[in-house]
Amino acid sequence: MIPTVSASGLSLRYGRAQALDDVSLRLGQGVTGLLGPNGAGKTTLLRVLATAVPADRGAFAVLGHDPATPAGRQELRRRLGYLPQTPGFHPDFTAFEFVDYVAILKELTDRAARHREVRRVLDEVDLADVRGKRIKKLSGGMRQRVALAAALVGDPGFLVLDEPTVGLDPEQRMRFRELIAQAGEGRTVLLSTHQTEDVAMLCHRVLVMAGGRIRFDGTPAELTARAAGRVWISTERDPAAKAGWRTGTGTFRNVGSPPDGADLLEPTLEDGYLLTLDGAGAEVAA
Amino acid sequence: MRVSRQARAIRQLLLPAARALPWRAPAAGAGLGLLILAVARIVDSDPAPWLAAVLLRCAILADAVGLAFLMDDPARHTTATVPTRRALRTAVRLALITPVTALWWTAALLLVPSQARPPAGALTLEAAAACVLALAAGAAAVRLTDALAPGPSVAAAFLFTAVVAPLLLPDRWALFVAPGDARWEAAHQRWAGVLVGAVLLWGMCLPEPVRRRPGALRVRSPSGTSDPSRTW
Repeated sequence: MIPTVSASGLSLRYGRAQALDDVSLRLGQGVTGLLGPNGAGKTTLLRVLATAVPADRGAFAVLGHDPATPAGRQELRRRLGYLPQTPGFHPDFTAFEFVDYVAILKELTDRAARHREVRRVLDEVDLADVRGKRIKKLSGGMRQRVALAAALVGDPGFLVLDEPTVGLDPEQRMRFRELIAQAGEGRTVLLSTHQTEDVAMLCHRVLVMAGGRIRFDGTPAELTARAAGRVWISTERDPAAKAGWRTGTGTFRNVGSPPDGADLLEPTLEDGYLLTLDGAGAEVAA
Repeated sequence: MRVSRQARAIRQLLLPAARALPWRAPAAGAGLGLLILAVARIVDSDPAPWLAAVLLRCAILADAVGLAFLMDDPARHTTATVPTRRALRTAVRLALITPVTALWWTAALLLVPSQARPPAGALTLEAAAACVLALAAGAAAVRLTDALAPGPSVAAAFLFTAVVAPLLLPDRWALFVAPGDARWEAAHQRWAGVLVGAVLLWGMCLPEPVRRRPGALRVRSPSGTSDPSRTW
């Protein structure tokens, strides 16, 4: 794999909180999912890789550009698309005007070519019909797509998406999955999310973060396999289970260390994720 | 080549940046300032010089409070990692607001009857210092917090400081002195110092990246543990 992103020893501390703790990774083309609980350091890692904040220690490069120097950072930013957790807009701009504004900030200075590019990305996110509509009149899902179009403009080689499906209804999330899958063709996408289904459906690789460190790095199938033989159903909640809940059928679905003779179930990615976090918690506590 | 690319970007940025600026608050501040002067002129067409200075300072304060909103940018997170540097983007904002503010200040001076008008150069220095200080405070708030629109907080703090400062400043540091007062010259040397300090403060908010120093203001964002004082 030729890495688009290579980072080693990234650390960042906010006061007493160690937001990133010696994070090293290499990312290649395709969509990589980043899972983790709140406060795990996902957004911080994304902001560091997007050059929005500098790390205390460590180094990284994106497409061969080192952000430690102003020139390197600027070159990196020319090849970067970033969708922040809470994207903001100028509400009186139309979708076209806003993406065009971002395109100018991305130094696409040939007006005709830039307008073609803006139309292309708005088509790509399925907003061609509303490109002349003011952003304040668009729905939340459409606004999120405007933000994605702004990230995609200029055809970046590295796309950083911070929880892009938060607050979207199921239909909008499905649509967004399509868009992210498309975006991952021929470029590197790092997708932070709480939605394990998104990772299962979109990502060829998944990272799990907790306590500022990467606790798992592998394929979604490998993460799911961590829960093989550790998910079972019972008629009562098993007190030995790490997690357990009553399902719609009245039985209890348990995750953890099953008793002998337990009625085992096929695990999901979420089960593997929960068990990975549980192990991470034990490790941190130790 | 890089310079010419950025120069072209700046030229093309002028129109959308002008539309993106939060004009309402600065316009309201400037309008209020002119209204104060216009009403005062209607009420008293020949005010004493000290009263004219007070009225002009009220107008300056109103305008500066409006300018505290100028750095508000609802799209700041979306455009946080674009290659066009922060300093250039700020320069575009400044280039757009400066001629308007200069025109406003000219109109404000002309609203004061010439026989009562305090020395225009000295009052212009006060106006420049107050306006740059408000803009620098706005820039610092943007730099040190994650807020999209810190303008209201900055304006409130600026207004409070402007009202309280004359009451708290010791006589030897007096800034708001009447024309003809023996301390006039010294006060305006201090105003020049305020202007230089404001420019320096603003300048410190521009370079990328800003590294946190021990004891620097730290502000937690509502989610996660991100610290916006560390923005590039």
